[in-house]
Amino acid sequence: MLRFDHVTKQFGGFKAVDDVSFTVRPGIITAVIGPNGAGKSTLVNMAAGSYRVSTGRILIDDVELQALPKHKIAHAGLSRTYQNIRLFDGMSVMKNLEVALVPPSIGSLVSDTFGFGGRREAEERRERCFEVLKTLGLAPFAERQAGSLAYGQQKLVELARAIVPKPRVLLLDEPAAGLNHGETEQLKQHILALRQPDLAMVLIEHDMKLIMSISDTIIVMNRGQLLAEGSPADIRANIEVQEAYLGQPGAIRDIEAAARGRRNRVRLREGEGLTWHQP
Amino acid sequence: MSAKKPWCTRVTSDAKTTHIPWLGAAVLLLLPVAVLILGQFLPTYPLRVLDMILLYAILGLGLNIVVGYAGLLDLGFVAFYAIGAYSWALLASGQFDIHLPFWLVLIIGAGLAGIAGILLGIPVLRLRGDYLAIVTLGFGEIIRVLMNNLDGLTNGPQGIARIDEAHLFGWTLSTPLDFLYLLVGLLIIAFLFVWRIEGSALGTALSAVREDQDAARGCGIDTTRVKLVAFCTSAMIGGAGGVVFAAMQRFVSPESFTFWESLVIVLVIVVGGLGNPFGAILGATLLILIPEMLRAWADYRLLLYGIALVLIILSRPRGLLPRAYGPSWLMRRLGGGR
Repeated sequence: MLRFDHVTKQFGGFKAVDDVSFTVRPGIITAVIGPNGAGKSTLVNMAAGSYRVSTGRILIDDVELQALPKHKIAHAGLSRTYQNIRLFDGMSVMKNLEVALVPPSIGSLVSDTFGFGGRREAEERRERCFEVLKTLGLAPFAERQAGSLAYGQQKLVELARAIVPKPRVLLLDEPAAGLNHGETEQLKQHILALRQPDLAMVLIEHDMKLIMSISDTIIVMNRGQLLAEGSPADIRANIEVQEAYLGQPGAIRDIEAAARGRRNRVRLREGEGLTWHQP
Repeated sequence: MSAKKPWCTRVTSDAKTTHIPWLGAAVLLLLPVAVLILGQFLPTYPLRVLDMILLYAILGLGLNIVVGYAGLLDLGFVAFYAIGAYSWALLASGQFDIHLPFWLVLIIGAGLAGIAGILLGIPVLRLRGDYLAIVTLGFGEIIRVLMNNLDGLTNGPQGIARIDEAHLFGWTLSTPLDFLYLLVGLLIIAFLFVWRIEGSALGTALSAVREDQDAARGCGIDTTRVKLVAFCTSAMIGGAGGVVFAAMQRFVSPESFTFWESLVIVLVIVVGGLGNPFGAILGATLLILIPEMLRAWADYRLLLYGIALVLIILSRPRGLLPRAYGPSWLMRRLGGGR
């Protein structure tokens, strides 16, 4: 369970995230939506330790993440993917996954390196990586250089690297950005298959169709603030949200426009955007 | 799992059976044996050159851990080499009338260099790229200037002469051929050591640091700690090399540890191929051999040397033996495990 507790992030005089509190429950997929600049990625970056929290707390169960260095956040059970792919390009796909399983202590590093009984652990780690590659259909690419794969495959490798350590919280920052229709469909199946009772998933996306079809609960953000929270059906029906978006003409379009603005990365076809009911 | 696809056999063969890569092992063993046989026939001077090649190959292997695997440019490697050399000079000479055995000083020298590596690492490892290079360069100079000025300890610029002859388990190391045996042995140990790092979790972590440090941290790698381990192990190899150097020359002075030496060792691995243990050996061979062969053109020697290096780098920007063609690749090609 991931909990944001009155989290604020200030960049100079600008509040990118303004007193946001919500809880991401395990076993379900929580989507965070909102127009560009709403603070979605800032939330992810704070949880993952890339940004420092200005005020407030971010917790996995009772562990306060904002006080931990980045690598310890990963060991606390949080994994993420990046908006722009960040693989270790020069390394094989398999090695990319193994990075996520490198033992944290110097003792185990040394025993692994110089073989005082670290061999079996190394073998188990490799088997775990291979297992994940198989479930994501990446096994044939295990020994390929990560940087040489197609964009969609790289996105999947990043997802694989994030789930290899069996995280308790998985943050997916625009996993479908830049994927074509077929790839997005495939990704959707993979994400749905990942849903399990002890994994809290957070999905940040611009692809409304994907969000509406796979999320269990949706959080709407605007200008750094939490606007609404509820099931996809609730959100669709939520008048307050509609007012916020539709009251100002074109506000809802912001989300789609953001996607369209990056047409080369985000495929959004006409008429496939989210439909909002007028009040 | 189907056993037909190459990635698959690799994964399963590691798990279930222990392949002994006979052919690969034979090829790897052949090299040192060939060097030793060659050593029997060489006159003294070429033998000394061969010793220097092996010594620089060892240093190159050590530096490769930091520069080749972790991607951190270290321009002060000579400091660790100097610490090792002065360890032998001070602990086995008339300087303080201490005469410790060679094997013990080999361990002490490597240990002291390793500690220096950690001490250097703690403050500087937050830096990246050029900044790190400059600070390590400064560290190398600091050690040299210290050796130059601590007259009471190191005799300053005069250096320390009349260093003991090295004895290893009742075997006296005096001729270049004796050192050839020692150096081949040490090179094999350093080679296996570095190769083992490459294939281990530590090597994976170092590569991740090289490729994308922030993403590595996001994956749970304690980058500072991993870099410290790299600095320390690399320094230990440098220190051991220094001990052997001092035992071989039986004279040390600060002149032997200038920035130029650091640069040559960096060149050894850049020319040979960053991140490839074979590259360090090939690079050392070329960088020591080329100037020797150019002695005939005395006046133009450095010019030709420079031109040769520029040509090599222009034609093979990733070094003569790129990263992917390391010992693991050789073993795979020759049908072995790993």
